[in-house]
Amino acid sequence: MAVVETIEHEATDRTPAVQFDFGAGTYRLSGESYPEDAANFYGPLTQGLRQAIEDRASDEVEFTVEMIYFNSSTAKALMNMFQILEDGAAAGLTVRINWCYHEDDETMEEFGEDFSEDFEHADYRMCPLS
Amino acid sequence: MTEAAEARADSSTLIAEEVLDFQRNMTRRGIIFSFTGYISEGILKALGDALRQKIRLESTDTKTVNRVFSVFVEQVQNIIRYSAERIEHDAEPPVELSSGMITVGSENGRFFVICGNVIGRQDADTLAARLRELAGMDSDELRRFYKEKLREPPDEGSKGGSIGLIEIARRASEPIQFDFQHISDAQSYFVLKAYI
Repeated sequence: MAVVETIEHEATDRTPAVQFDFGAGTYRLSGESYPEDAANFYGPLTQGLRQAIEDRASDEVEFTVEMIYFNSSTAKALMNMFQILEDGAAAGLTVRINWCYHEDDETMEEFGEDFSEDFEHADYRMCPLS
Repeated sequence: MTEAAEARADSSTLIAEEVLDFQRNMTRRGIIFSFTGYISEGILKALGDALRQKIRLESTDTKTVNRVFSVFVEQVQNIIRYSAERIEHDAEPPVELSSGMITVGSENGRFFVICGNVIGRQDADTLAARLRELAGMDSDELRRFYKEKLREPPDEGSKGGSIGLIEIARRASEPIQFDFQHISDAQSYFVLKAYI
């Protein structure tokens, strides 16, 4: 089976821009997210990430999230991806997560803090932007 | 004037009076917009855009705009996913329409979002228990509960909706109001109102 190297989507009004480069280990989600069908949108991304982590497609992984708004089904999808990343870090990969948000956005800041609680092995950073 | 033309003239006067009265009544209640009928994801998007534009123009602060929008999205997606009155068709693209009502308004300087839809009688009991539980929580408890639910696999048949209700409760400025009206042996009408 051919290995998917990258997944890239332009942002739409209700889905974020996606730049997943599995070989390089760089991942980025940015924009707004309230897809019609979150499982359908995030399923392939989660699957690709899981595969890349299991296969150790790269030794270092950098995962950046820069969201303005996301709905509850997206929060669930993010949580699933974060669990995969933490498991990867626990298994020895160097994993860094950047949670970027506008410095005035308390909602995104709170979400960032809440997600950070589940990371023990991965390097999780809060990145306020002005 | 022919009889038919007279009848038309009479009835249009009546219609205008009735519609104007209806609209004034809605305005008096502070309603920004209200949608009743079959709702799709496309309608959610269109109404959501209109809502954001409208309340941004009222120079509402960004935080409030985002909160109202978030409560609106979760409520409409709940109707789309859980209304017992729905049409599904395997057309291309697939058709998925759910019937319900969504209303957004403002009252004494606060926004409110109301949704109403038909659900199964048995689901009403589960939903009422969930909402009572949320109503008893303060903001820190809601924050922790949301996180706890994110970690869990979704409840059977919930399609993630329990997290949606917590999101609504978190963005609301007071405990969310809810009510049920039994409409038949099998069904209840469910209403939820959140002030932001």
